[in-house]
Amino acid sequence: MHSAERQTVHRWTFIWTGALVSLVGFILLGMAITHSDAWAEVGSALGLTLVGWGGVLQVLNGALLTPAVPVGGAEQLHTGYLLGGMLVWLAGWGLIASGLRRAPAPAEGPSPAAGASLYPRLARYRDFYWSTLAAYGGGILLAELALVLLQTVLSSGVPSTELGAPASGNAGGGLSLPPTLAFALSLLAAGTVAFVSGFIGASRAQRLSLPEATIGVLYLGLPVPIVLTLMERVPSLQLALGYRLREVTYVAGLLGRPELAYWLVFTALVLALVLGINTGFIAAGSGRVDLKLGFELFVARRHVMVFRPSLLLGTLAVLMFGIIPPLLIYFVIRSAEAAVERTRIRALGLKDPLAAASDLNRLKLREQSPTMMMTALSVGGVGVGVMALIIVLSVMSGFEADLQKKILGTNAHAVVSKYAGELPEYPKVMESIRRVPGVVGQTPFIINQVMIASEGNVDGVIIKGIDPATVGTVTDLPSYILGGNTLEILHTPEKILDRGLPGDEPEAPAGGSGQEGVEEDDIIRRSGKPAKPPVLPGIVIGRELAASLRVVVGDRVNVVSPLGTELGPTGPIPKSRAFRVAAVFYSGMYEYDSKFVYILLKEAQNFFEVEGATGIELKVADIDDARRIAGQVVKVLGGYPYRARDWGEMNKNLFSALRLEKLVMGIILSIIIVVAAGLIVATVIMLVLEKRKEISVLKALGVPDGGIVKIFLAEGLQIGVAGGLLGLFSGLSWCYFIEKVGIKLDPEVYYIPALPVRVEFVQTALAVVIAVLVTYLASIYPALKASSVEPVEGLKAE
Amino acid sequence: MALLSIRNVFKSYFLHGKRIDVLRGVSLDIERGELVSLVGASGAGKSTFLHVLGTLDAPAAGEVLFEGRSVFSMNDAEIAEFRNRTIGFVFQSHYLLPEFTALENVAMPALIQRRERAGAYAYARELLERVGLGQRVDHRPGELSGGEAQRVALARALVLKPAVLLADEPTGNLDPATGEGIHQLLREVNRELGITAVVVTHNETLARSMPRRLRLAGGGVSEA
Repeated sequence: MHSAERQTVHRWTFIWTGALVSLVGFILLGMAITHSDAWAEVGSALGLTLVGWGGVLQVLNGALLTPAVPVGGAEQLHTGYLLGGMLVWLAGWGLIASGLRRAPAPAEGPSPAAGASLYPRLARYRDFYWSTLAAYGGGILLAELALVLLQTVLSSGVPSTELGAPASGNAGGGLSLPPTLAFALSLLAAGTVAFVSGFIGASRAQRLSLPEATIGVLYLGLPVPIVLTLMERVPSLQLALGYRLREVTYVAGLLGRPELAYWLVFTALVLALVLGINTGFIAAGSGRVDLKLGFELFVARRHVMVFRPSLLLGTLAVLMFGIIPPLLIYFVIRSAEAAVERTRIRALGLKDPLAAASDLNRLKLREQSPTMMMTALSVGGVGVGVMALIIVLSVMSGFEADLQKKILGTNAHAVVSKYAGELPEYPKVMESIRRVPGVVGQTPFIINQVMIASEGNVDGVIIKGIDPATVGTVTDLPSYILGGNTLEILHTPEKILDRGLPGDEPEAPAGGSGQEGVEEDDIIRRSGKPAKPPVLPGIVIGRELAASLRVVVGDRVNVVSPLGTELGPTGPIPKSRAFRVAAVFYSGMYEYDSKFVYILLKEAQNFFEVEGATGIELKVADIDDARRIAGQVVKVLGGYPYRARDWGEMNKNLFSALRLEKLVMGIILSIIIVVAAGLIVATVIMLVLEKRKEISVLKALGVPDGGIVKIFLAEGLQIGVAGGLLGLFSGLSWCYFIEKVGIKLDPEVYYIPALPVRVEFVQTALAVVIAVLVTYLASIYPALKASSVEPVEGLKAE
Repeated sequence: MALLSIRNVFKSYFLHGKRIDVLRGVSLDIERGELVSLVGASGAGKSTFLHVLGTLDAPAAGEVLFEGRSVFSMNDAEIAEFRNRTIGFVFQSHYLLPEFTALENVAMPALIQRRERAGAYAYARELLERVGLGQRVDHRPGELSGGEAQRVALARALVLKPAVLLADEPTGNLDPATGEGIHQLLREVNRELGITAVVVTHNETLARSMPRRLRLAGGGVSEA
């Protein structure tokens, strides 16, 4: 573009002195703030000032600050610093300003063209369009607001009762989609809004309009994420906005660090805007919307020739087997081929030297140009990135799925309880819950923490009173029982096999357990045992716990509850009860196998003096919908005092940590793709330099600037698409390999015999799409460079 | 109305940061169907003049009118389309695209217009036969001799039947005999297709053989 650049003269001594002076002023001001202990107040305003619209706020803050200066001996000093700093700061800037001067008019006289009419296009040139600024800035703001609004409208909503609002008149939760799905939809919609506004702005202005884009994003795009981030920290904002934005904060909170989510989404929207701007410029930048690609692809395909079988197969081989083996094979084949060719040509040459010469020439033509090598390298780079992303994310998903399966196998999908107290009316509540669609199983439970002691050891555990008849409808506990036992044996403790070793006769039960009505059963007691010990209630413990307590089925354990003491001869003593190990379970989760024990609900009621149950565990049809169904259940029960928590909420930290881990892993691995993008930039720039002449010729033949941009974008994109597809293919192959052949893990450490893999469609597709997008973004700059080649430059006679 | 009018055009180029004013208020009319030669010393600005005439380079001031319409007031796409449809270029080097065959090179301007491929290739083949290269259609530029390549370039310039043909020393790199063949072709094109042609040349005999002769010197154009 022809820009009339205003000539300036810099007087560097002034500028550097001014910079130094204003730095001194800045330090003085800083000292004043430090002395007043006011960094917290100033900091927020300063942060806003960095993006420019904090001026007013800062003035206000300053006004508030002055009276806050502590009265005392030091007061004089601070005001001195404040005033002095301010003056020095301003003086510094004054010096800098005086260092910049407009260039003096040239000494020579006017050129011969003075007074002639400037050629029309330059005469009409404008360098700032308010409408473009409105399109870009308004677009990004609109996209953000659309995202926030759609999320609020679409998402299923936090159960309103949890927020203390009445059950009816739920403010959010319009369409009741699962939050993640709602987020995906809203993000898509917002991305489209940003893209379209970028497209419209750029195609109307017919240029990229970078100043407008920068100002738009800074001034109209930043406030929303800043407000969302500040909301976490500033209580008054939280009060004012928190309730309305709770769907947004919920979704962001799934990641564990909401700020990270806000800024990632903001970045994504800015990227969508940039893509829109660029696409709009390419499509319409040269005067009219032209989305046809046939000719440009025709040229681009000849330029890079990515889709050659040899290149694709070679890169795939490198991706699948590493660099060395394919390279060795390549060299072996090439040298064999060369030897054969040379022998043939020599034989030919002995008869007809000229025929040999032409064959030699043909051999030479097959050699690859450096650009071809670069192309192959870039394809390989993108492929490695995509492959690594797919494999690592799939393995992480495998771990996550495994963990989720185990957690959900032992835990319920949702738990209904009261805010305080027990649930004596649980049969009635269960009756109501049965009517809620989506609930497929429910079971009452009592939960408490106790000590468990065997003869060998003692441990703190979580004890759960369960109903063996219904517990199987909610968790997989029945299927975890080892050794062919069932939970039903809890109902008939007398059938528990006694180890019956000689000399292992249980002593008289300690504490209060003796008070229980002891029944004797003649059927299972062996006749050889004269003393009939009391039949103890059964308890189911995990395999790890059994190992650490050194007990097996039939052994006796004592459960000691710190709650509810009993009065003994020497004062209050903890309540204790003897149980017999009825069965051992193995869930595969160390946490559960070492920390959970199960007894009959009835026993728990007696032991803990609980009426009814602590709560009701639910199983839902679709675990991703658990949050909504939990809300429904509470609604059916009439809200307060009932509450329901879903599994995600109960294991929130674990899963958000996993998600964050996966995200961070994804970001780190994306660095490979970014490096590959660097390769693509280099490759396309090399292409542009190599093809300068051709670009000029194409322009002379009538290809508009937009067409040139399209050609080189298509070249970068070809590399990206080829690399992405190769990466996809090799990544999936590796995943298949890991799944079928397996990579052994130490089961003592990981509790899983082999590396788990789960290929998730969305994240795999996302890896490829991101790679292609990144290559597209990477090719933008070289493509614009290509289009800015002046035809005259390339056509200069050599 | 003249086909091409140049009105008070100024243009400079820059050599080591120094401005050299090569066109100082040039005004000129070229009528439809004229065959014009342009001579001048090296560095006098003949190529610059031709580039401005062909919209490859914008002037610093002044206007270029085609059929009375100011070409530099159009936007990029319109100028590109104008170049594509109205102007054919032949340069000193052939400037064929090395990745494409002779046939594809000749058809390129039509492909840029997104014309249907088969038709474009058919006409390109016809043109190549006319310049005597019917046997070389599938050869790449690297496999053609200088004279052959220049004839392909001429065919490419003519494929869309432009109103104006601008030739910048088309025979500068060729031996006299081959060059004479190209000149012959240029005259034929002008006579038979009625294409207006402006030919920059150092070759005085060629220049003298043209009906209208222009000389560029001292930033102005004069009839020679």
